[in-house]
Amino acid sequence: MAHSSRGSAKAIPWFLFAAGGTVTAFVLPVMLIVTNLGFFPSAMSYEGMSGFLSWWIVKLAVLGILTLGLWHAAHRLRVCAHDFGIRADELVAWIVYSAAGFGSVAAAVALLMI
Amino acid sequence: MSAATTDTANPRKPYVRPISKTSWFLTSARYKSYMVHEVSSIFVALYMIQLVAGLFYLAAGPEEWESYLAFLRSPVVILLTLVGLVFFVIHTTSWFKAVPQATRIMRGEEVLPGKILVTAHYGIWAAVSLFVIILAWVA
Repeated sequence: MAHSSRGSAKAIPWFLFAAGGTVTAFVLPVMLIVTNLGFFPSAMSYEGMSGFLSWWIVKLAVLGILTLGLWHAAHRLRVCAHDFGIRADELVAWIVYSAAGFGSVAAAVALLMI
Repeated sequence: MSAATTDTANPRKPYVRPISKTSWFLTSARYKSYMVHEVSSIFVALYMIQLVAGLFYLAAGPEEWESYLAFLRSPVVILLTLVGLVFFVIHTTSWFKAVPQATRIMRGEEVLPGKILVTAHYGIWAAVSLFVIILAWVA
């Protein structure tokens, strides 16, 4: 690694990737169990979920998890594409990062509608 | 890389070991485990899409939310969930394994041992999971 007093232009994307990896590592397994396996019918009911998501702090937390998770997955999918022999990196990067950005904005819009 | 193109122009014709661009990771256990945790991102992406879609169904109203819940109960989603759960846990354990390499915490003159950092991460993971379970249980 080159040492530079100006720091790296990759610092912010790298920080987002690392933050996404950490947040998803802590919350995704338990979230998947709660949302997708039907063990918590009352929490997953319309009343339960809309009540939970009426809290602003919860909306912010959910937006944070989704944005960081999307960014983390986008970055890893880009690396995956390379590792599976797809060498059109610029195009792949454009697609995955745009999708992550679109998903984050969509999440914010949906949360505002709830 | 451009190594292949320069080698063909090289009159010395050095031997270049053939490496498959699409299946190179099958050649060693380390590469395989690397690819398994990289592939976990496919399931992370799918789950994120599912959750964003879910927010729209919730915003649309009770009937729409009910149809979303029915979608989650479909056999394909259940199957993807179970496979995804395995990949999520692999993501978590492989991420924690890399923490000492990524994080250096100084304690006076000494570097905090990596084992303590990893154990702390497992502790926080357990606490977060328990907290979410309790939150969902009392709801």
